[in-house]
Amino acid sequence: MRDVTDFDAIVVGSGMTGGWAAKELTELGLRTLVLEAGRAITPERDFVEHKPPWEMPFRGLGDRRAVAARQSRQGNSVSFDEWSHVFWTDDVDNPYTTPADRPFYWFRARQVGGKSTIWGRQVYRWSDLDFEANLRDDIGVDWPIRYADIAPWYDHVERFIGVSGQAEGLAHLPDGQFLPPMEMNCVEQHVKERMRAHFGRDRVLTIGRVANLTVPHLGRAPCHYCGPCHRGCITLSYFSSVNATLPAAQATGRLTLRPFSVVRNLVHDPQRNRVTGVRVIDAVTKTDRVYTGRIVFLCASALESARILLNSRLANSSDQVGRNIMDHIKWGGASGDFEGWTDRRVIGNRPNGIYVPRFRNVTARHPDFIRGYAFQGGAGRGGWQDGLRAPGIGAALKARLTQLGPWSMNFEGFGEMLPRDTNRATLHPTLVDTWGIPTLHIECQWSDNELAIHRDMSVAAAELLESAGAKNIEPSTRGPSTPGGTNHEMGSARMGRDARTSVLNGWNQSWDLPNVFVTDGAAMTSSGCQNPSLTYMALTARACHYAVEQLKRGDL
Amino acid sequence: MERRELIQWLVATAGLQALDTLDASDLLALGRDVHRRGAARALAPHAKSNVSVAAERILPGAGVAGVTPFIDKMLADWYTPDERRRFLAGLPELDARARARAGVDFLACAEADQIAVLTALDDEVTALRAARGNAANQHWFAMLKYLTVYAWCTSEAGMRALGLFPLPGRYDGCAPV
Repeated sequence: MRDVTDFDAIVVGSGMTGGWAAKELTELGLRTLVLEAGRAITPERDFVEHKPPWEMPFRGLGDRRAVAARQSRQGNSVSFDEWSHVFWTDDVDNPYTTPADRPFYWFRARQVGGKSTIWGRQVYRWSDLDFEANLRDDIGVDWPIRYADIAPWYDHVERFIGVSGQAEGLAHLPDGQFLPPMEMNCVEQHVKERMRAHFGRDRVLTIGRVANLTVPHLGRAPCHYCGPCHRGCITLSYFSSVNATLPAAQATGRLTLRPFSVVRNLVHDPQRNRVTGVRVIDAVTKTDRVYTGRIVFLCASALESARILLNSRLANSSDQVGRNIMDHIKWGGASGDFEGWTDRRVIGNRPNGIYVPRFRNVTARHPDFIRGYAFQGGAGRGGWQDGLRAPGIGAALKARLTQLGPWSMNFEGFGEMLPRDTNRATLHPTLVDTWGIPTLHIECQWSDNELAIHRDMSVAAAELLESAGAKNIEPSTRGPSTPGGTNHEMGSARMGRDARTSVLNGWNQSWDLPNVFVTDGAAMTSSGCQNPSLTYMALTARACHYAVEQLKRGDL
Repeated sequence: MERRELIQWLVATAGLQALDTLDASDLLALGRDVHRRGAARALAPHAKSNVSVAAERILPGAGVAGVTPFIDKMLADWYTPDERRRFLAGLPELDARARARAGVDFLACAEADQIAVLTALDDEVTALRAARGNAANQHWFAMLKYLTVYAWCTSEAGMRALGLFPLPGRYDGCAPV
């Protein structure tokens, strides 16, 4: 006989993957509770992408003192600004520690929609170049799945979220279900043609594949090119939980969404070896209560899900929870100027750039490192920002500000990080957050392989620009980015083929506790160099369908 | 703002001519606006008038763009105490240089003299930048000019002049200039 539970399924987190779990589980007939640690979001009230700078107290420069006092870590995210700062957590309420000489940025978003409101929206499929990589290189553990296992779920996710992109026929960056691509500007088209002439199919430049609509899609309007997507989108033109998956889940009548619900731990029945529910602290009243459910999906973000497992002291017989933290290394690249096209300009703010898929270690072996990196970037003409410190006053200065600068183009690398069990988050022995929940101590650093990748980015980016005829080419002089800083943290409860060396099986299911699934970035066995959210979403949808089958068969 | 200083400011910035184009409700709104703006937090009345006039000379239209209240807000709530002190300590140079040049305070001297004073300061900052790079940004006049330019470029009037507002609602990657 089945116990009576509050819900069929409990989903922890309402962001990128929590929204997908909510949609799939409710559409498959489950009464589903979604727990969100932060506040509710109302697009009409909270999305501020059209609020002009002159309506902001600091006109876009941000509240420097408030950020220094409360968001000194979150403020380092590329999409943190005076408008969007409310979509990141308060660092004082949500502390964590690192060794003093090894900073790690843990960017966190606690509100309905999580980081899906502030994400970069770049979506790229993985291929077997990625899924076979650990096996080939004898690094970490082998992925328990291959491209064929996830390809139909990429289709499933892409059809719903809407991805604009250009099919290129590359085996290592498979094409998807694309809406019409966004347009390249004149210089990007020129560079694409010159690269094709110079590198053939080895180094391809394509328009970014982005979860912004270029045509009406499932009731959502196409992008109107205002630019700052990370401040929200009143026309719902990019994919987020708030814009798409949560409304779909709501439409089933089986969704219960509970904001201000901070999950402390899973509740365990040792006799049945099942999780029976989750313990929640009300973020406002700080009182706690338990919700019961037949299955639990952890979608709280990679490190938060690991933290919940560690605080539960469950699902960790492998001792791999919290280990193998990965991110993508950045800040290698180059920029250069292009002469000509002075009679041409860009109109509108395209929320997307160009993409150069990985070209290292695809065919030929690179002598200095394994794996590789991709470039993102774009071309444009400088505007008033370039004149902020220009000499002159009066009418001449004003004329200078209204002039467009020369065309320039930049490439920025996103490099793969290898899994290492020493890159690890553990429960802090004493430090708790404002809700009394033990927080994390995070130790994470780049290895020689990532640093070699970072060095090569600047060399290769300069080569690309040179092949396209750029002038004044400047390779990046920046050192490697801070781990975590790309906000692609993942790997902290990895999938694998063996319960002794991994936390999850090939269905994102806990080896130890069969009714617990972890489908956010924690599940990743390697990091690839592609932006990872699409893979998280596909894994989530796949795991939901598996879980419901298992539930119906009485196996959970 | 004091009435005397308002008149000085209007004379100094040719604002009186602009008043001719306003109707009664605009004038009332302007009066309320001036009154509201009178509550400066970091800039004393005289300093505020100097900033207003200097900003208008640096970028004609700065007054309409709300540059002075923005600078006051930045000084009060954004800059460090050191930065604020550096700015406020430097600002009286406007009067000192105007007196040396024309025998009267900055607000009282002719437009050409005001421009000459500001041009000399700008040239000095440019030379400093050539010698010391971004360290020149610490100069009080570099702060004043940066804030003026930034505030104008992020104002409605500025963004309209720069073609950044209203938003076009479309993308064209290769449009004619």
